[in-house]
Amino acid sequence: MQKNYFDRVHRWGITWNIGALLMLLCVPVIVCVNLGVWPELKTLASVLSKLMLLYWVTAVIEVITYVPMLGAGGTYLSFVTGNITNLKLPCGLSAMENAKVRANTEEGEVISTIAIGVSAITTTVIIAVGVLAFSPVLPYITAESSAFRPAFEQVLPALFGALAASYFAKHWKLVPLPIIVGVIVLIFAPTMGVGTLMFVTIVAAVAGALIMHKKNWL
Amino acid sequence: MDFSDFKTSPVMLAIALGIVAFVTAQSLFFIVKSWKHAKELGIEKETLKNTVVSSILFTVAPAISILATVIVLANALGTILPWIRLTVIGNLAYETTAAQTAVEAMGGTLGSEITDPKQFATVTWAMTIGSIAPLIFLPFVCKKLQNKIGEAVNKSEGAKKLGDALSAAAFIGIISAFIARAIAGTSSDGNNAGFMSVSVLIVAVIAMVILESICKKFKLDKLQPFTMPLSMFIGMGAAMLFEAVLPAEITSFMWR
Repeated sequence: MQKNYFDRVHRWGITWNIGALLMLLCVPVIVCVNLGVWPELKTLASVLSKLMLLYWVTAVIEVITYVPMLGAGGTYLSFVTGNITNLKLPCGLSAMENAKVRANTEEGEVISTIAIGVSAITTTVIIAVGVLAFSPVLPYITAESSAFRPAFEQVLPALFGALAASYFAKHWKLVPLPIIVGVIVLIFAPTMGVGTLMFVTIVAAVAGALIMHKKNWL
Repeated sequence: MDFSDFKTSPVMLAIALGIVAFVTAQSLFFIVKSWKHAKELGIEKETLKNTVVSSILFTVAPAISILATVIVLANALGTILPWIRLTVIGNLAYETTAAQTAVEAMGGTLGSEITDPKQFATVTWAMTIGSIAPLIFLPFVCKKLQNKIGEAVNKSEGAKKLGDALSAAAFIGIISAFIARAIAGTSSDGNNAGFMSVSVLIVAVIAMVILESICKKFKLDKLQPFTMPLSMFIGMGAAMLFEAVLPAEITSFMWR
């Protein structure tokens, strides 16, 4: 039964994944056909050489890092809809935590998939409604002088602070090492992107957990 | 929306709506399949409902900040291309960098509007090709990786325990990266680590601890799923409050 369900999820996931890929590639093609212009290959190649070096390498790391945590359905949904670290991953994990189910079980699989699906639809609706209905007013909300600006500047500390409080209490022994490593890395490389930094802190946390497990400290 | 501008033409709008339909259909498909299977597994309806409502609440604030990125990019690219890019695969940090790299390579900046269709076409290609890598890798690795992990953690009771510890550790690693950034990071928009980022972090932590203990003490099981989004809103509210009541030297104080 277990193998069956996961096998089916992977089959659905791959089908939707390929559909999304084809659809995405159609976007620039339609834009070019519609405008009757095509990009200069030399310029495009120079831009892509920079972007791909950075993002295709990050993509490999992301796939390896997130797949074990998001579950099968959650993974396929998250990678198509994007905004994984700042939204889908914390959303899925917090749903599993609330429902008291474990990742890598069928129960965890369905709960995280439902949470990530709901989150994807909510985001899509908010962006669509925002662009179509509120685009004239939006700049005022995010403007320098807006009262809401400080709130939106601090979305990530607020989100991860709330998440940390519920998660850290249960696993407090694992906490100090990755934070200290992260802060030290940032002191020497302050502009490091969060994707790369995350890789470093995850390695630190997992290595710490392995050592503590071996020494029976957990 | 100005339909006479090629960046926000009816064709562009149609592409965007098509993508919105695709993403919504895929999400609904997986929700329905999971819901059915959850019932087969005997998961209570109440748990599923709570998952839906708390996920919606959890998503609102980050989604609005994603919308804010659309608005920032709209200066140069019009509203529709950023909308498309942030609806599929896109994420806050990536799309801004990708657009910036492409626009700058052609001698422009994100601050000024692109009026040359050729430049616009180049940016569209660059943002698309740059971001599709995960969709190319996933079909090959996702199943293999997950089967391996499944086998490894379900081998024995000890392996299960280690598996739990390692997945907790990986998640703590992710949270730690963001906490480290709030403590000591810098950001391209000048919103570096300082009084605001650390105090919002602390307020959100305290709010969560208090809300969780209230839930436990008064056995408010219904409130439990909402403690996380509530704490996030309290943290964001604190940022607005600090900005309004504290002197600017304090709220704008950054040590990075």
